[in-house]
Amino acid sequence: MAEIIGPIDLPPATPADQPDYDVQLESLNQWQIAWRRFKRHRMALIGSSMFFGMVIIGLIGPLIFQYDPYKIPVPEVRVNAGRPPSLAHLFGETGRLQRDVLTLVINRIRYSLLIGVIASAIGAIVGTIVGGVAGFFGGWTDTILMRIVDALLSLPLLFVILAFSQFIGQGAASWVTITIIFGLFGWLGIARLVRAVILSLREADYVDAARAAGVSDRRIIFRHLIPNSLSPIIVATTLGVAGVIIGEAFVSFLGFGVDPLTPTLGNILSGSLEFISQGNWWWAFFPGASIVVIVLGINFMGDGLRDALDPRSKI
Amino acid sequence: MTEATVETTATSAARERRAGVGDVLLDVRDLRTYFHVMDGTVKAVDGVSFSIRKGGRLALVGESGCGKSVTALSIMQLIDIPPGEFAGGEIIFDGVDLLKLKTSALRKIRGGEIAMIFQEPMTSLNPVMSVGDQIMEAVLLHHKVDKKGALAIATQALRDVGVADPTRRVRQYPHELSGGMRQRIMIAMALSCDPKLIIADEPTTALDVTIQRQILELIKAVQERTGAALLLITHDLGVVAETVDDVAVMYAGRVVETGTVEEVLLHPKMPYTRGLLESIPSQAKRGQRLSAIKGSVPNPFRMPNGCKFEPRCPYAWETCSESEPELIQLGPDRTARCWLNDKRFHDRLAEYEASMSGGRA
Repeated sequence: MAEIIGPIDLPPATPADQPDYDVQLESLNQWQIAWRRFKRHRMALIGSSMFFGMVIIGLIGPLIFQYDPYKIPVPEVRVNAGRPPSLAHLFGETGRLQRDVLTLVINRIRYSLLIGVIASAIGAIVGTIVGGVAGFFGGWTDTILMRIVDALLSLPLLFVILAFSQFIGQGAASWVTITIIFGLFGWLGIARLVRAVILSLREADYVDAARAAGVSDRRIIFRHLIPNSLSPIIVATTLGVAGVIIGEAFVSFLGFGVDPLTPTLGNILSGSLEFISQGNWWWAFFPGASIVVIVLGINFMGDGLRDALDPRSKI
Repeated sequence: MTEATVETTATSAARERRAGVGDVLLDVRDLRTYFHVMDGTVKAVDGVSFSIRKGGRLALVGESGCGKSVTALSIMQLIDIPPGEFAGGEIIFDGVDLLKLKTSALRKIRGGEIAMIFQEPMTSLNPVMSVGDQIMEAVLLHHKVDKKGALAIATQALRDVGVADPTRRVRQYPHELSGGMRQRIMIAMALSCDPKLIIADEPTTALDVTIQRQILELIKAVQERTGAALLLITHDLGVVAETVDDVAVMYAGRVVETGTVEEVLLHPKMPYTRGLLESIPSQAKRGQRLSAIKGSVPNPFRMPNGCKFEPRCPYAWETCSESEPELIQLGPDRTARCWLNDKRFHDRLAEYEASMSGGRA
C-alpha cells in the first residue's frame, strides 16, 4: 500500500502573477458575441466574401473599367450574333449592338444590389413594426393586421408586381419604383415572423418588470421586445435580399421591370434570350453567373448569421 | 455584524416605527381579481382586504395558488385583461383608487411610487440591455434628470445595494451576473426612484440559501433607509419572522388571518396558519416525520361551500362545512377567519389551544 503522504504543497488558488479574470474580462454585448462567432463560421466567411466581393466590383468596377456602358460601340467588324470572350472583351460581346458584356455586368450589379438591399430594408422595417404591434397588443389589432397579411399573401405576388410595374411605370419603371414595389410586398413574411417571436417574448418576466417600472407600451415594444427579436429579423432580411434580387431579375427578364436606361442584371438576360439559340452563351452566362454568386453568397451569409446569432448553436 | 446585533437593531427600528404610526399608505378593500378561462371563472383573489401604513412592513403569506402573487400583480395592474378581470374592490394608494386610474397616470405610479421586485432575477432583466441602461430607463422616467444625472443615480443605486465596482457593473449585461447579483440589480432599480411602497414578490425563492439572507437583509436595510413601506409576498414563514412587522395569511383567494408577526406566528388563531407553522422542519423535531397539511388546495372550480379550509382542517365540525366565517376581529389589526374564534364555540377554542401547547412541548 502507498504510504500516507504528508501535506502537499498546493499552489495558491490564483498565482500572484496571473490576472484576476473577473477584472480582465471585457463586457461583450450580444452583437460582439455574435460577431466573434460569425468570424469563426467558415461558410459565412465564404458567403460574405462572395457577396461583398460583388458589392466592391459593383461600386468600383465601373470607375476603372475602360468601356463606357452608355456608348454604343462602333466595331471594325460587325457580327450580328456577337462575339465570344476574347482578350479585349473578357466576357465577350453581345449580339446586335455588340456591347462589351463585362462592362454591362459590372455596371448593372450596382442596381441589382441596390434594389435588393433597399427593398429588403423597407420590408424589414414595415414588417417589424406591423408584426411587433400585432404580437404585442394581440386581440383585435392582431386579428385585423394578420388577416391583411393573409389576404396579401394569398395573392399571386409575381403577377401583382408585374401589374403594378406596368401600371405605375407604363411598362418601364425606374429602379426606385421597382424597389418600392418589392419593398411593399416584402414585409409580409417578416411581419408574421416578428409577430410570432413577440408573442412569446411578451410573456417574459423582463417585460412585466419594465411595465412595473412604468415603461410605456411603445417603449417596451421598441426598446425591449424588438431588440430581443432582431436575430431572426436580421437572418430573414439577409435572405430576403437574395429573394428580391432574383425576383427583380425575373420581372426584368419578362420585360416588366426596370427600364433599359437604368439597367439591371435581369435586363441583360432579357436581351440575350433570342441569341442563345445561335450559340451566344456568354451573353446570358456571365450576368446569370453574377446573380448566382450574389445570391449564393447571401444565402451562405444568412446561414452563418443564423448560427452566430443563435446562442444555442455550437460553432 | 453578528446576528444578535442585527436582531436588536431590527426590533428597535420596528418599535420606533410602531411608535410613530404613519397614515395608511395602501388600503386594499375587498379586492376581487377573476380570470375567465375555458373551464369557467377562477376567483384567484376573492375579497382580499389589508392595509399598510407609511413605512410599515407587511407580509402576505400562503402556499402556491392562494392568490398572493395575483394580489401583488393587481396592485401594479399587471394583470392581462382579458382573461383577467377586476370584479370588484378598491386599491387605495395614497388616497387614489389605482383601479380607476388612466394608464398614463398609472405609469407615473408604477416604478415611481410603487416599485416591484420580482421572483426570478434570472429572467427579470432584459438580456440585450446593459444593467446601467435598465436602471437608467426607470430613473429617466421618474426623475427630471438628463442621461448623465441618471447614470450617476444608477451608479449610486448599485453602490447602495452593495455592488462592488458599480462604474464597471453598469456596463455589464445580465448574463455576466450571478442570480444574487441580478436580484441586487433589481433592488437597485426599485430603490433608484424613491418609491413609497416596495412590493417584493418572493424575492428570495429563486436564490441560493446562502444568498437569501443577504438579499432579505438588503431589502430590509433599503426599506429602512428610504422609509418606504414594504409588501413582502412569500410562502416562507422563516422569511416572515425575520423581515416584517405584520402578517396577512392567505388561503384560496382570501385573507384568513392577520396580526403582528409575534401574534400570528406564536399564537395562530386559524388552523391553516398553524398547519403552515407546524410543517416547518426544525431541530426540535429531529427524527420525526415532517408534518404537512393533509390534502391540497381546493379546485378553483369546486370551492367548498363553507370554510374553504374545512376539507383539510383537523378541527373542523359541522358549522365549518355549512357556512364560511367572516374575518373575526380579535383586537386592533388582529383578525382570523375561523369559527373557533366565535364566542359560541369558546370551548372548542380552548381545546384547540390546549392541543397546541401540548404539541409544542
